[in-house]
Amino acid sequence: MTDLQLAQSFSMMALNAQRSLEMTTAKKMALRCIAAAVILEVYLDKGFTQSKNQLALKKDVLEQSHTMLYQEIILKSLARRNAKKSWDLKDWLKRASKLSGSKLKSLERAVSDSLKELGLLEEIPHLLGCDLYFHSAGVSIKGYRSDIQEYSRISEGIRAEILEDGPVTDETICMLWLLRESGCMHDLFSRNELDIVSARMYKLYQGSPLAKALYPIRIHRGIELATKQFLRMKKEVVRTQVGSGLNFLFPILERSQAVFIDMEAMFSNPAARLHDVKQRLESKGHTVTVLKEGQIPTIKIDNIVYEAIPHAIYGRVPIHGVRLIPKPLF
Amino acid sequence: MSRQRSMEAILASEFVTIGELVRLTDSRYSTLKFYTEEGMLPFTQAEENLTRRYKREETIARIHFIKELRASGLSIPQIKEALNKGQ
Repeated sequence: MTDLQLAQSFSMMALNAQRSLEMTTAKKMALRCIAAAVILEVYLDKGFTQSKNQLALKKDVLEQSHTMLYQEIILKSLARRNAKKSWDLKDWLKRASKLSGSKLKSLERAVSDSLKELGLLEEIPHLLGCDLYFHSAGVSIKGYRSDIQEYSRISEGIRAEILEDGPVTDETICMLWLLRESGCMHDLFSRNELDIVSARMYKLYQGSPLAKALYPIRIHRGIELATKQFLRMKKEVVRTQVGSGLNFLFPILERSQAVFIDMEAMFSNPAARLHDVKQRLESKGHTVTVLKEGQIPTIKIDNIVYEAIPHAIYGRVPIHGVRLIPKPLF
Repeated sequence: MSRQRSMEAILASEFVTIGELVRLTDSRYSTLKFYTEEGMLPFTQAEENLTRRYKREETIARIHFIKELRASGLSIPQIKEALNKGQ
């Protein structure tokens, strides 16, 4: 078991299942928040001197041997660009989150390398590569996969701390803010739990100086968050007995959320369907765990739970298969 | 400010929180909460609304035991019975 730094823990959550080769909107949002997580990490480790509200980076922070490359990238970029190096926490976070695309790419490389070295992150063919159109066209898409055990350790640890009565650590206070700003809250908490989380965050805001300073700060960009929320919302719009999501009607909108896997045979039975799906996914390097069998099986692919819903697409000939729709948390 | 305890500190302490148990045993929070509510994991609590604290070694052993019994196909009432017999 490894003790990860805040930015590394958050990266495990934020980079999981993101495409590694392209800069998607969701990944850009995640990277902006990872940059902010680096500032928070240094702040928690007392890397700033504080006078009134102003924070100045301690000179020795960048000279220490244990400084990580991803910390250097953010801190040096901010220090180099501006003669004035003393801002309040809000300014530090905003400036970090507004770094250029090339800096964000360097950050991604550095933070993913640090996790890969620990064996906690790997690049595998993205789930989208299993889709009929991409698979048959031979298009290769890569994605990140966080170590399943460590991912669950981090996410369940946060859930336990915030949903349970009692004190909340600074790391969890920061994580909640990062999850909120990156639009990842729904990945961790069900709708009912979100009400509890919201009430707890309000209590923290009233009682913890860190939460009081942090929670009013907004670093997300409206258009990016709106895009991400829209893609999530359309999943919820159509809910039928056999599944949910506008993805059924317009899978092209966000194909990675509605991957179609074709079957060997038409009208195949549930067992044969599940076998074909498992075979395709495993041949692309995914870890598949069947949680529930039956007409609509529930399967865990890497770190995300999906429903495999029988479906057909119609071209010159109908092709039978299944659509993988992420299973919403209730 | 209260910082998260390192794994070294957790492994050296007598009592742990449910969040730390999650990290130590790779279990889901909801599972441990359920076991606690069913009385399968004893805990101490100084006052109402304060953090539940579990004896680290004893509770970890108990969780592993429950997992073994689950894997061998026992239901929750049967596991509770087995735990009560063992006490």
